[in-house]
Amino acid sequence: MPLAIGTTLSRRRFLTLTGALAAGSLALSASTLWPRWARAEPELATRLLRLGRDIYPHEAIADRYYLAPLTPLLEEQRELIAAGLDDLDRRARAAHGRDYAAVDSAAEREALLRQIEDGEFFQAVRNTLVVGLYDTPELWQAHFGYEGSSWEQGGYVGRGYNDLVIDWL
Amino acid sequence: MSTRFEHDDDGVVVIIGSGAGGGTLAHALARKGIKSVVLEAGKRYALEDIENDEWAMFEKISWLDERITAGPRQLTETFPNLPAWIVKGVGGSTIHWAGVALRFQPHEFRLHSEVGEIAGANLLDWPISYEELEPYYVQAERHMGVTGEASGMPLHDWNNNFMVLAEGARRVGYEKLRAGPMAINTRPYDDRPQCMQAGFCMQGCRFGAKWSTMYTDIPRAEATGYCEVRPNAMALTIEHDERGRVNAVVYADAEGKLQRQRARAVCVAGNSIESPRLLLNSHSALFPDGLANSSGQVGRNYMTHATACVFAEMPKPVNMHRGTTFAGIISDEARLDRSRGFVGGYTLEVMSLGLPFFAKFMDPANGGWGRDYAAILEKYDHLSGVWICGEDLPMEENGITLHDSRKDQYGLPVPIVYKGDHPNDEALRRHGQQQARSCYDAVGAVRVFDVPDFPTSHNVGTNRMSARPEDGVVNQWGQAHDIDNLFVSDGSQFTSSGAENPTLTIVALALRQADHIAERMSRGEL
Repeated sequence: MPLAIGTTLSRRRFLTLTGALAAGSLALSASTLWPRWARAEPELATRLLRLGRDIYPHEAIADRYYLAPLTPLLEEQRELIAAGLDDLDRRARAAHGRDYAAVDSAAEREALLRQIEDGEFFQAVRNTLVVGLYDTPELWQAHFGYEGSSWEQGGYVGRGYNDLVIDWL
Repeated sequence: MSTRFEHDDDGVVVIIGSGAGGGTLAHALARKGIKSVVLEAGKRYALEDIENDEWAMFEKISWLDERITAGPRQLTETFPNLPAWIVKGVGGSTIHWAGVALRFQPHEFRLHSEVGEIAGANLLDWPISYEELEPYYVQAERHMGVTGEASGMPLHDWNNNFMVLAEGARRVGYEKLRAGPMAINTRPYDDRPQCMQAGFCMQGCRFGAKWSTMYTDIPRAEATGYCEVRPNAMALTIEHDERGRVNAVVYADAEGKLQRQRARAVCVAGNSIESPRLLLNSHSALFPDGLANSSGQVGRNYMTHATACVFAEMPKPVNMHRGTTFAGIISDEARLDRSRGFVGGYTLEVMSLGLPFFAKFMDPANGGWGRDYAAILEKYDHLSGVWICGEDLPMEENGITLHDSRKDQYGLPVPIVYKGDHPNDEALRRHGQQQARSCYDAVGAVRVFDVPDFPTSHNVGTNRMSARPEDGVVNQWGQAHDIDNLFVSDGSQFTSSGAENPTLTIVALALRQADHIAERMSRGEL
């Protein structure tokens, strides 16, 4: 369960404030919603997942961590997302003769996305992911070396805040 | 339960805001037996409410009421409704500040005299000198528990993040490298515990090792019986009598009901956005342009510090998130030296962000994504960061104005926060970024990258001090030139921004103002 209700609200509130999203109704816990949505619209889920994985490509992070924050976005802005993905496919077909997800080269897919990075659709997906994906505690230590909350362990006194040896020069 | 004062008690000083300025002032007045009512727009938090969680705390304590970011800068697109990242709650931004407690330098109080006129800037000397403020700096340092001579506490041990930056700085020839001074205890002091190096200083210190009016000045003021704090009390307007002396503050309580607290004097300490907003909103037939605004300077000369961040990826893990957030300071560039191509100086302050914030702030513009971006994030534990805190020149057009139709939840016009950079600010920032890059390169960085500006927490100016009434809003005591029982008690009274974090100076000014108010009361003048 990557997301608690509280953190979902925080992110959504932040995104609203920073202009990423129009104010909308509050989402329920993403972790309880996404399987239902993914089952209901597996095709849309797959296409959105490809996009999300191209925006923040981390090979070793499982799909569900991308889908969890993207689910409430799709719940609220399905038309925007569906239209955006259709537009992306049109661009991919014009440039490469196939749908976006079928373009093999990651660099070519990124180039397509650079064309739309200022648009509302892309910004909505990116802003959702940049807050949602990286605020997933179980990914921190394994993928980024970030340890998160420390007060429960008495902070880092005696636990390495000043243990650096600069031996790389 | 603290003392309760009647709404029609006209013997109380009404203080608007409970942060570094208002909280300190309330406590200092209470110790002199002067009654005050503190109106705080935000809630009251307990230490247990403080979490080591960046987004959760951002949501919980930030001032998130609608504001409009304006001006020729990227922030208007990346953070259109968040021009400043400050706190709404009892304790104000002292919950969120990172504890860096630097004094302004003597020349920074007289920058105009030092450098003369600069086109496009609205420079002015402070009407107070460093020498006059120095005793209050000492008092503030003891009061807050600032590491170093005044408190007798040693400076912090260098954390990993600062070791990296400092080693690079040494190699480029810098000498003024210190882990402080900081108002974060290195041993138990003033009934507060020592720092546990948990990080998350900007989310609030869970242990209470950092000075904050939230758990020092405010409860101590209340304990004297001379201070009542009213949370969830948003000041709307200040009223005055026919002679032009202020006599009451109208505020919205937690239920949104209007209340009116009579006052012997009013001290405005709501930060550089809310304080001028309140004065402007308090216009009347006698003061058609807003209270204390005969000069037209209320809301003008808004300064934030010329800032930028530089991060570097090192060959091996640094774990910058361990230990205090702003663990060390390099002051070599804080000097006045025009040969660098700009006036004013800057400090380089080592800084860390947790992964959630770093991912968002490394490049908040639309381009902040893709393979290279993700690759940097995967090296999170190898990163070290530094923040540039530089002199931001006052410009008359930078400031706070009221929107002509949009209203917030209190029915107040939404503030528009306009900020553009002076060419001097840009030159200073570029220099700082280059020097920071040199420090990191000198210690073997794999790559170094600039991080664009994000919403500042340092907001000063907008009700500035001036010797002459026509140049500013308040005199050297923070007393309005136009209204002798109206005071400004926060950073909005700053005449210049200096190259140092503002909090220590705000506290020193508040302690000095408390003495002044007490003296004038004892002489029957207030």
